[in-house]
Amino acid sequence: MHLSALSLRHFRNLRNQELELPREGVALIGDNAQGKSNFLEAIYYLETLRSFRGARDAQMLGFGEEVFRVVGTTEGGDDEPRGVQVAAAFQKKGKRKKVSVDGTEPDRLTDALGHLSAVIFSPSDVDLVSGGPSERRRFLDIVLSLNEPGYVRALSDYRKSLSRRNAALRAGQPWSLVSVWDQGLIRAGAEIMVARRDWIGTRASAFGDYYARVSGGRRARMTYRPNVSLEDAASTDAVEHAFREALEAARDREARRGVTVAGPHRDDVRLQLSDEGDDLDLRDYGSGGQRRTAALALRLVEAMTIRERRSRRPMILLDDVFAELDGGRSERILELMDGEDTGQVVLTAPKDADVRIRRDALPRWRIQAGEITT
Amino acid sequence: MSAIDRLSDEFSRLPGIGSKTALRLVHHLMKASKDDTRRLARALVDVADKVRACDVCGNFSEHDLCEICSNPRRDVSVLCVVEEAYEVGAIERTGQFRGLFHVLGGRLSPLDGIGPDELNVATLLRRIDGSRGEIREVIIATNASVEGEATSVFLEQEISPMGPRVTRLARGIPVGSDLEYVDGTTIAQALAGRREM
Repeated sequence: MHLSALSLRHFRNLRNQELELPREGVALIGDNAQGKSNFLEAIYYLETLRSFRGARDAQMLGFGEEVFRVVGTTEGGDDEPRGVQVAAAFQKKGKRKKVSVDGTEPDRLTDALGHLSAVIFSPSDVDLVSGGPSERRRFLDIVLSLNEPGYVRALSDYRKSLSRRNAALRAGQPWSLVSVWDQGLIRAGAEIMVARRDWIGTRASAFGDYYARVSGGRRARMTYRPNVSLEDAASTDAVEHAFREALEAARDREARRGVTVAGPHRDDVRLQLSDEGDDLDLRDYGSGGQRRTAALALRLVEAMTIRERRSRRPMILLDDVFAELDGGRSERILELMDGEDTGQVVLTAPKDADVRIRRDALPRWRIQAGEITT
Repeated sequence: MSAIDRLSDEFSRLPGIGSKTALRLVHHLMKASKDDTRRLARALVDVADKVRACDVCGNFSEHDLCEICSNPRRDVSVLCVVEEAYEVGAIERTGQFRGLFHVLGGRLSPLDGIGPDELNVATLLRRIDGSRGEIREVIIATNASVEGEATSVFLEQEISPMGPRVTRLARGIPVGSDLEYVDGTTIAQALAGRREM
């Protein structure tokens, strides 16, 4: 399966264009601030219906425009026989988002997620490693929402229960009125914890392998750091029980502080260097290059998840990712991507010389002031 | 403001009606016979003047007691608790329920400042207490939303110690639907709530 056509209307600085994308992918070359990242943002918008840069929908409107619209058409292949058309539009007035799949609006926006099976690699990925726990939770939530059935709903239920429970705590309501939210919180929270634990548990070794291959042999580890202690809690029932006990234990503290302190909204993923017997946190002790390598390894694990869970070859979007890596690492990443079972590749770079992926076989497009020439 | 503008302005405040639909309704009324329009006006005035909440259950009523509460053939041992009065009609139309109702007037919603004091909870508890054991079962028919579930947990906490059996509406596969098209959450709930045949 690959993205065969893309239509753009008033998306950031990009000119209104109808583009046909080659099956193998494309390399988009252009100077800084011409719209390279915007192009990838538009493509990835069709995957998650939001900006990979964390921008609000209104910020992606072309200057002075009222509506933006992105339409992508995929063509089937051996991994997914049927193509699909995903259209996403946003209207400034009323902040309305309209999404359709093959011309019909899905019942829920979340039903339209994940049709491209794309992974985006960007320089800001380093924040996954050097940023706070919320960055890593966001990463987990996006990956699991796209790949684990039921995760989106659990997340949405959890957030609803959490905000109401916090409101009850803030208002100083009696415990009998705070605890009515526990059942919903615990049920959804346990589902989230189990999904996160399973994902990290089954992919930790892949993370280590990718890290070793990009870094040229150095070792790193990924472990789940749940806020609720899950030792000996194997089944979902046991996780629910552990969560309930953690809430019990936190009761006085929560009443005092007026906020829910126990639960997966405070989870973290620990990323460590594990070279000479010592486990050093990459966030605190990693060099710039080591952190970037760990972030890349996370994205490679994400791509692997798409292969495993959706049986599709992931589309790879590379946003100028080689700018800040040394030559050796860049070479190894390119080799790795060529070797992995990946689908279409769309990459951006400031100079022709940076583009050697797929043995130079990618067609080159240029971009200047938002206009793409093919 | 002209009479036409005033009426269309009133219409457009109703849910689901924008300014264009409001104007269309006004134009329709102007073309209709004056009797029809006056009958509509009287119906509106009647709803405003005559309909109020039943003293006992909170359902819509034109008297102190609603038709259900004043019907001697209803089963007083079963009470069905709903969030809103218009949900009484939904259950009544099934023809399967012969007990009485209690309307909460909403659901717990701390984000909107709605707690038990803002709902008809005290009247419900007094009603159960005052029945001296006559109410043997309370069916909680709040919605299956996050807030409806929390409300049901709260009511169960309050009512169970008073004696009646507390039950919750079952959730599962809609009648007449294909399993293939039912969402995963609903199927999971239906599996958890399966029963012996």
